[in-house]
Amino acid sequence: MEKVIYSLFLLPWLLALLVFVSPFHRLRQLITFLSFPILTYLSFKVWNLKLPLFITPPEWVNLAVTLFDYGLLLYFLYQGIKFRNFLVSVLAAAQLFLLSWVLLIIPHGETPPIYVDGLTTFMYFIVATVGSLICIYATKYMEQEDLDRENRFVAALLWFLGVMNFAVSVNNVEWFFALFETTTLASYVLIRFRWDSVSISNALQALWMNQIGGIAILLALLFGIKYYSVYSFTDILKVNPAVTSMIPLGFLAIAALVKGAQMPFHRWLLGAMVAPTPVSAILHSATMVKIAPYLILRLSPVIKGTLLAKLLIVTTGFVFVSAGLLALTQDNFKKILAYSTISLLGLMMLTASMGSPTAVLASLLLILFHAVVKALLFMEAGVIEKLFKAKYIEEIRRLVEKAPITVVFISIGFMSMTIVPYGIFMAKWLTLEEASNFLSHGAYVGSIIFIATGSVILTLLYFKVIGVMTRKRGEFMRFKLEKLPFIYLSTAGLLALFTIVGSIFIAHLSADFVNAVVASISSSPAPVKASGLTLITPLSEVYGWQIIGAFILLLIVPIFAYFVHFPEVDRVYEYTCGERVETTLGTYNFFCVSQVEPLIETAAVALFIITLVLGGGLI
Amino acid sequence: MNWEALVFTLFSPVIGGFIYGLERVVRARMQGRVGPPVLQPFYDFLKLMDKRSIVIHSFHAFMGIMYLVGTWFSLYVLLSGGDLLIAIFFHVLSLAFLVVGGFSVRSPYSILGAMRELLHMVAYEPLYVLTAAGLYLVTGTFQISEILNSNEVPLFVLPLVFVSILLSLPTLLKKSPFDIAEAHQEIIGGPEIEYSGKFYEAVYTAKWIEYVYVFFLIFLFGGGNHLLGAFLVLFAFFFFNLLDNVTARVNFRQMVAFHWYVLIPLVVINLMLLALWRG
Repeated sequence: MEKVIYSLFLLPWLLALLVFVSPFHRLRQLITFLSFPILTYLSFKVWNLKLPLFITPPEWVNLAVTLFDYGLLLYFLYQGIKFRNFLVSVLAAAQLFLLSWVLLIIPHGETPPIYVDGLTTFMYFIVATVGSLICIYATKYMEQEDLDRENRFVAALLWFLGVMNFAVSVNNVEWFFALFETTTLASYVLIRFRWDSVSISNALQALWMNQIGGIAILLALLFGIKYYSVYSFTDILKVNPAVTSMIPLGFLAIAALVKGAQMPFHRWLLGAMVAPTPVSAILHSATMVKIAPYLILRLSPVIKGTLLAKLLIVTTGFVFVSAGLLALTQDNFKKILAYSTISLLGLMMLTASMGSPTAVLASLLLILFHAVVKALLFMEAGVIEKLFKAKYIEEIRRLVEKAPITVVFISIGFMSMTIVPYGIFMAKWLTLEEASNFLSHGAYVGSIIFIATGSVILTLLYFKVIGVMTRKRGEFMRFKLEKLPFIYLSTAGLLALFTIVGSIFIAHLSADFVNAVVASISSSPAPVKASGLTLITPLSEVYGWQIIGAFILLLIVPIFAYFVHFPEVDRVYEYTCGERVETTLGTYNFFCVSQVEPLIETAAVALFIITLVLGGGLI
Repeated sequence: MNWEALVFTLFSPVIGGFIYGLERVVRARMQGRVGPPVLQPFYDFLKLMDKRSIVIHSFHAFMGIMYLVGTWFSLYVLLSGGDLLIAIFFHVLSLAFLVVGGFSVRSPYSILGAMRELLHMVAYEPLYVLTAAGLYLVTGTFQISEILNSNEVPLFVLPLVFVSILLSLPTLLKKSPFDIAEAHQEIIGGPEIEYSGKFYEAVYTAKWIEYVYVFFLIFLFGGGNHLLGAFLVLFAFFFFNLLDNVTARVNFRQMVAFHWYVLIPLVVINLMLLALWRG
């Protein structure tokens, strides 16, 4: 059974190597396609194993990881010097110093460095399905962009999947640091892939910001060893934070916030959009940023109810609202998606820090559905960029006349993030009802306000974009679907299908599948039950007929609307008070919000510091 | 299947139309006019059904009809006694049709109106979510049927919440001072402008259903005391007509600011003090 786990790390690397050396485009596509069934099968095998599973690899692996750490940090230092970037080199040097210090004082422990539990398997599933689909999509995307460098690109993406699988299964925090920095390396390599000046500067920005997360992990490690002499996640969970120091937990939480691109460290994720679109897709959905909620979920049993958790709720809730607000001011489609990722990552961490079984369930549902939906939306962003040459929302005006399938996919993606009865809404609903139990705590009241305002702002944002897309001049004269390449259609179609089916069967999905993961994180599963399509919580229930009714209204009706014609009715032009003026119709740009952007960032910095100083117990 | 709720939902356009007729009379009397007969909305209905229908394109007209269906469905969700939060969010779903319909034509008034419709939602939605949390705090349940059977009277412990809901009624029903999405003198009815004939009738009827929806939310504040609930509904009816008569329209920033910076804090103060008091 150890072999299954190892193959989950190593097989993507092997596939990456094969893709890298294979000379033909078709062969590369075939190899990439293999990753989907293989990884899914392996994840399924792990799911059926007896969990949790501790694995102690041979002793030389420990040495190899340490050597790899040094090599990686030296490479960062070299990149800093090569591109004359002060921050990158200084932070790399600082990490070299801290790492050496850690290695000097680290005690010899018997805790196995690899730990596979329900949460890990859950992440395996997301990487195996969503991640591989993005890689398959990338083969087609690169065919249209630059066939010569396709092998590097797809190889890097596949390699990233292996790294991500490894990162979510380590127990030793020093190893976790190594993998954390490897994902940083992966994002650095992928963001600068186009090698123009903007790409390089954005990649360097991602590099230095993520290195701050690395420093936070090293500091957490140092203090963890000093105060509790532990350096493994499972051992940290055993300490009682009420009697000892919160410092290591505070630093780990900071590392999560940085990795999760929470304000004020959100710019690296926005900068990632200069890379080819599959890079954004993979960073935003299956890998990289998902480490942030993963890390908070790992820590949630021990930080639950502490001041740190409450401050995290406030900080991430603030990011949830303000990233949504800032997204309103953007006119670039990918930037809108990036801001909404930042926003929803805030929500995932908010629910994870609440830590009660229901909140953890909500967090996992958010991670799952967000991964699927964001991959879908970025794939569609790539499609409208490549096929319709549009990057800004002004350019996708009246897209529904040209590309109905794309519009349906984008609308499913957008609506699934806000409206009843999709998975992400259900997670919000669970959180709201959970938070209503603690109305005497400011942080929980705050979380209700944040969730309510944040979701309504995201609704405003998405409908603003949907409104621009669905505007049209007249009747659909003849029914014509756009021609999409098969790979684009099938990968996006699969994701959209999962979003819909997963949301319809949300009751069974959460009660039977996700709840097993919740039980492995918290001590007990969330008290939800499924009966048919009806989801029953202790406080109330969502009926199956409500879910089905909402789906008929939201999904079937808009598609049906395409074919509806009222033949006997007269047609007129729009009413313009009798004037004949040429109008150019745009949409609101919410200039009033961009005026307060500096204020929002200042508040974010303040909250960040408060979380570290007060939550981490530095005073 | 909840037959009572189903029957009530099916007849809700009649009830809503009747309320609208009454409203026009009450408003006229407040202005010293006689006003139309109470059944005027139904006369209008018959007239509109008889009119020649003209549309911009079928998609737009169809969205108007779906707005009616969506609102009707969301009312049934509310009346069938399920979860209050879910019912509140279903209201957003029905609004989506009006908004998408408004956006789908190339008319400046319609697009502006649809955008403002969304801003209305931004203003009132958080307030209603918090109200649901408050009702939960008092009655211990999110199920509407149980709220209506509880021994507690939410009004007595949530007075500030009730005041905020009362003050945000115009936002939900698009009445002055918060009627910016329709703003007849400014954007000529907003998303409604491009509908006519039967299709306008659909949008018009959907608004009657919204009356029932909103007044049922008010009714919940009576809790198990249904007589008090009915009194509250009457009071709210007169209050928002009075407000509609005596105030002028504000702009959207003032509306959102009023909701976010005045009403939401009022609700939060009420909820936190109550929760702290109960320990």
